[in-house]
Amino acid sequence: MDNKELFAKMEQSIINYDKDEAVRLAKMALGKGIEPAEAINEGFVKGIQAVGGLFGREEIFLPELVMGAEAMAAATDILGEAIKKSGRKAKYLAKGIAGTVQGDIHDTGIRLVTTFLVANGFDIIFLGTDIPSSLFVEKAKELKPDLILLSALLTTTMPNQKEVIDSLKGAGIRENVKVLVGGAPISQDWADQIGADGYGENASAAVEVAKKLIGG
Amino acid sequence: MLKLEERRASIQPIKSKLKISILDDEDIKKINEAAISILEEVGVLFPSEKALKIFADVKANVDFDKKIVKISSHLVADYLKKAPRCYTLAGRRPELDAKIGGENGTYFYCSGEAPNVVDLETGERRRSIKSDVENMAKIADYLPIVSLVWPTVSAGDKGETAPIHGVEACFNNTEKHVQTESVMNEISAKYTIEMASVIAGGRDKLRERPIYSLLLCGIAPLSQDKGGIESALAFAEAGLPVGIMSMPTMGLTAPPYPAADLAIGLAEVLSGCVLIQIAYPGTPIFITIQPATVDPRSGDYFYGSSFSQITSAAAVQVAHSNGLPVTSQFSFGGNAYKLNSWQVGMENVCGHLLSVMAGADMSFGPSGMIEAVALLDMARILFDREIFQAIDIITKGIEVNDNTLAFDMIREVGPRGMFLGRKRTAEELPKLWPPSILFEKSRIVGEKYRDAEEVAREVIDWILKNHHPAPLDENVKRELRKIAAAADQDENLKGGIRGR
Repeated sequence: MDNKELFAKMEQSIINYDKDEAVRLAKMALGKGIEPAEAINEGFVKGIQAVGGLFGREEIFLPELVMGAEAMAAATDILGEAIKKSGRKAKYLAKGIAGTVQGDIHDTGIRLVTTFLVANGFDIIFLGTDIPSSLFVEKAKELKPDLILLSALLTTTMPNQKEVIDSLKGAGIRENVKVLVGGAPISQDWADQIGADGYGENASAAVEVAKKLIGG
Repeated sequence: MLKLEERRASIQPIKSKLKISILDDEDIKKINEAAISILEEVGVLFPSEKALKIFADVKANVDFDKKIVKISSHLVADYLKKAPRCYTLAGRRPELDAKIGGENGTYFYCSGEAPNVVDLETGERRRSIKSDVENMAKIADYLPIVSLVWPTVSAGDKGETAPIHGVEACFNNTEKHVQTESVMNEISAKYTIEMASVIAGGRDKLRERPIYSLLLCGIAPLSQDKGGIESALAFAEAGLPVGIMSMPTMGLTAPPYPAADLAIGLAEVLSGCVLIQIAYPGTPIFITIQPATVDPRSGDYFYGSSFSQITSAAAVQVAHSNGLPVTSQFSFGGNAYKLNSWQVGMENVCGHLLSVMAGADMSFGPSGMIEAVALLDMARILFDREIFQAIDIITKGIEVNDNTLAFDMIREVGPRGMFLGRKRTAEELPKLWPPSILFEKSRIVGEKYRDAEEVAREVIDWILKNHHPAPLDENVKRELRKIAAAADQDENLKGGIRGR
């Protein structure tokens, strides 16, 4: 199988939501000495873009989108380590880190947002739930993301979104990233009030806002 | 128009003559068995050392590392037996007591706890503050259809102690039973229980007549919240009633089948009930299973689905089969509603009608909520009131007796006669045309009825200006203020919220 064929199979594995096949092909690419970034860009990303397109046209729904994103994540996990070592970068739209703020363990929403962004060509690292401001800052310094996504479901944890933004300012890196906030009690007003760069009412809106922010 | 008059608070449950069974005995048995299998084989996450120890003490299968508790069918049976089927959610005076599990029918909440409100003056959406909680509690106090009162919005101007201020705002503005769903850590719980104790006249009197209770929502699937569960234990310790809620979302945090949602939801709530009964046997408890769906294109959470409604109503039978009282059915609608829309009306009629007919002990009822639970528009509670009036009429059924068959009238009037100019008609006809905001005659030529939304806003305005809930004693008010102020200063409390 030549590289072109392999890339086509990679694309198809995502379109088929076939995690095992995606992993097998990722390993095969490494075995053949293919540049991992190239495998992602020419193979898997095209697959997830196709899945994103189907979803956008309402030909498929969320469950398929999640399956596609999971297959993509499984493949990029295999290739990720190799990418770190190589100089080349995968062609993601932008890199982001995401999590629920401290005191909040409700992660359904932010996981959906992460999935939507991944399906739209973003590289998002999900930090988890109940993440203290200091960890967001530490990860922002370490990973140098373009975006930070902060989720809060409770009115009592909303203020911790502001705390993260303030901590980023304190660390002198606020200007390096765009901060998006979301969650059931969150509104555009709140986002403006705490100095966030964007707010998404739902996962689709978050993607649009993220695209606008990194384009601008 | 509603008859607006100065009056004391009263409550009006709805008792249905119409009965429905959504599940048959075999269905109920299977759902209970599935819930027990989930509890025995999968377990529930309890991220609280305190809760894990309570379970371990009665030899439940506790994995302290994973914080997972597996509960045997025997433990479930033994401890559910200790929960009372009938008890009182007390108001400040006995006329306002909700007698749960009795023959009075379904009691309704004014609930929600939204972060945003439609401003009464400007009509603009803004973040809610403590005075909004006070206003809505006053409205809930006035309307008889509301028996149980939550802080319906967050006291957003109070920051981390908003839940405590919300409870204080309710205590100060309604004589009806107050329940919280946001006091979700042990320290906050103790501050608010102290408030209730001051009002009741001491801990023993509070235990005797619990004017305050808690509803704890787990985190689907199969997880409880550390702060919440420890708050629930504090309520139970004080002898206050505790409700345990599950909110499975079909296809997202629960399987995409209503039957499975009932089973997984039941497993979640029973795990909480068993914990409470182990720790404080005899604590009045109730459960509620509130399923939702998501928009498969956006992931938007959707309460108003018919699938959710039938499942929520079916949970009444499931709860009762376990000897537990149940709160049923949200009335928060979907995500992008306008006031006075047919869609909101349709959804709320369907859900609540089912639950009342299924025999729910309580239901979330008239709330004023729109956009799921994100926005309070106070005027909406009057549209909700219309819905409950309709449900009340429908579920009372038809009275058949000599008087209502009115053969004597028919004989007197005869063919082509008229029933209008009769004394009995004069007495009865107004009952067939109950007070409503929908049929206010318009003064504008060509417009039959006034815009109901405009009427609703006038009524809200009238209630807020003219209804004066029976005030607490000045000393009690001062004590409540002191307790809230102490909470504001409590560094441990801030840590408790942040660090949970």
